[in-house]
Amino acid sequence: MGRRKLEDDDDNNNSKEFKSKNLQAERRRRQKLSDRLLTLRSLVPIITNMNKATIIDDAITYIQELQKTSQVLSEQLLEMEGSSEESVMPMKLEIAVAQHDMKKCGIKEEVKVSNIDGNKFLIKIIVEKKRGCFTQLIEAMNYLGFELSETNVTTFSGAMLFSSCVHGKYGDTLMVEHIEELLSEMMRSMKTSSQSAIELGNTN
Amino acid sequence: MKVYEESGCFDPHSLTDCQELMGLPGATPTNCHNSLEDTLTVSSYNHHHHEDASAALDMEPQQHYLLDNTTNSHSHLIPYLTQDLPYDQSHWERFNVVPSSSSPEAATAAAAAAGAYTPTPDLLSLFHLPRCSFLPNPSISFETTPGSPSVVYDPLFHLNLPPQPPVFRELLQSLPHGYTVPADDKDAAGVGGLYHDGDNGIIQFTRDISMAGRAKDRDKAGKTTKHFATERERRVHLNDKYQALRTMVPSPTKNDRASIVDDAIKYIKELLGTVRELKILVDKKRCGQERSKRLKTEDAASAADAGDVECKPLGDPDQCYNTSLRSSWLQRKSKDSEVDVRIVDDEVTIKLVQRKKINCLLFVSRLLDELQLDLQHVAGGNIGDYYSFLFNTKIYEGSSVYACAIANKLIDVVDRQYAAAPPTSSTSL
Repeated sequence: MGRRKLEDDDDNNNSKEFKSKNLQAERRRRQKLSDRLLTLRSLVPIITNMNKATIIDDAITYIQELQKTSQVLSEQLLEMEGSSEESVMPMKLEIAVAQHDMKKCGIKEEVKVSNIDGNKFLIKIIVEKKRGCFTQLIEAMNYLGFELSETNVTTFSGAMLFSSCVHGKYGDTLMVEHIEELLSEMMRSMKTSSQSAIELGNTN
Repeated sequence: MKVYEESGCFDPHSLTDCQELMGLPGATPTNCHNSLEDTLTVSSYNHHHHEDASAALDMEPQQHYLLDNTTNSHSHLIPYLTQDLPYDQSHWERFNVVPSSSSPEAATAAAAAAGAYTPTPDLLSLFHLPRCSFLPNPSISFETTPGSPSVVYDPLFHLNLPPQPPVFRELLQSLPHGYTVPADDKDAAGVGGLYHDGDNGIIQFTRDISMAGRAKDRDKAGKTTKHFATERERRVHLNDKYQALRTMVPSPTKNDRASIVDDAIKYIKELLGTVRELKILVDKKRCGQERSKRLKTEDAASAADAGDVECKPLGDPDQCYNTSLRSSWLQRKSKDSEVDVRIVDDEVTIKLVQRKKINCLLFVSRLLDELQLDLQHVAGGNIGDYYSFLFNTKIYEGSSVYACAIANKLIDVVDRQYAAAPPTSSTSL
């Protein structure tokens, strides 16, 4: 592979058969490799001989073994999940909790849009925290043709604050009020859709 | 031969001349002892000449001459000289054998010389020197300026550097081939000898290498071609193993041996962590199931509402002491994306970096819903060419996702979407 070149320590070497351009680097490289092999050896509970080839071999075997174990365990977990008697906290419970918290802290739902520059807007939305509301928000943004440059989402007391600096992907510049209107409408539809989902759940 | 003639030392036909040169009388074995000091100093001088001489010449005939012409006065020279020069082991053995077979005087002289050398550490280690390096090709050029007072070789012998490697390297530098390990190198290799892995151009001084060789390598009778063939096989075999190891690792990076081993180490640690995590989860689940069963029976007995079961009733006497805090950390890297998942108990922190092309937030949030992760906090945006996001989430009660699954799914989704998205021209901000 590599042709080595020797350093000329002494006088001019006439027969330049093998030369190592940088002996130190080569030594360090080899040292690095052997150190790592040593670490690998220490990790693997091998049973066979301690030489380079078998280290690699045993590492391969060990990895396969570990993969198999983890697969077995995860399947077991899946089975248990299927047959589990526990159920995830139902949505209505969550929502009830959220609404209660929000009211307690006096947080109101809000949509605020400000124009920064040309096609750039700063959007701030406070909404009741529900499962999947973030996804819905992002979908809304997408629908409006906004590209999110910086996004910040935080939750507190059952409310979610979404704040993002967006800019319109498409050419036409939207008016601030227009955007606010659209967003409020979307949030309302989100709410109603979730309500209907809850009702569906109730009937079941 | 010319040089020898000049030095007058190893002219086989005029050993007497040499004697005169050294100023020694025709010594008896006993005399050798006494005049050892003289002989040492003189012999070193001779040795230097000899070095120069041997520089360009094949040693064998000279050795032969020496053998045949072992006189009392010269016998002590023989072991001394042969030590310094890289003879083929067979030659050395010949030397060893010869004193015994030749005149007893020579033998005793040699023995005396050998014994006498012990007090001088320099020379003693010289004894060892040949054992460590044996080159089948005796025609070694030392590349010294002939005729110089051999100052060059002084450091080598009189310093007697414990690291044999430098000496070897100098010896090797003139070798035509890379394969210098002779057949019967078992002993040498065992002592920590020289091994040349010609494919990668590496010289390695490890015992392991000699042991790593297959049996037929070691049994080879010294035919260089046969040695070459099996050596190549061994290398190919070893490289295949490295590649096999590389395929097992989820996100391999560079293709050199050190990186492969490094990736393997990281992956093994990751796998150990995953297995541990899964075990904890399974235990927790089993405990939870048992508890819920127990509760149900209790509730039914007490005619209370046995509907949805709360997971953690306090004061349960048979509560499984599952106090082990689940913690795991994984990383996955692909060509355009990077995922970092940390789980502590029920909080999952995900960091995602992806080359800017698609709106990954949407897909990620969908996936998080799917995995039943409750978003607490999201932060991130555009950094240069990349999107970088940090998600703080909480695992919903009852869900048992584990780090590995999250990481794998995430990187999978993100990569797929990235690949699926048509290459967009960068939109100007």
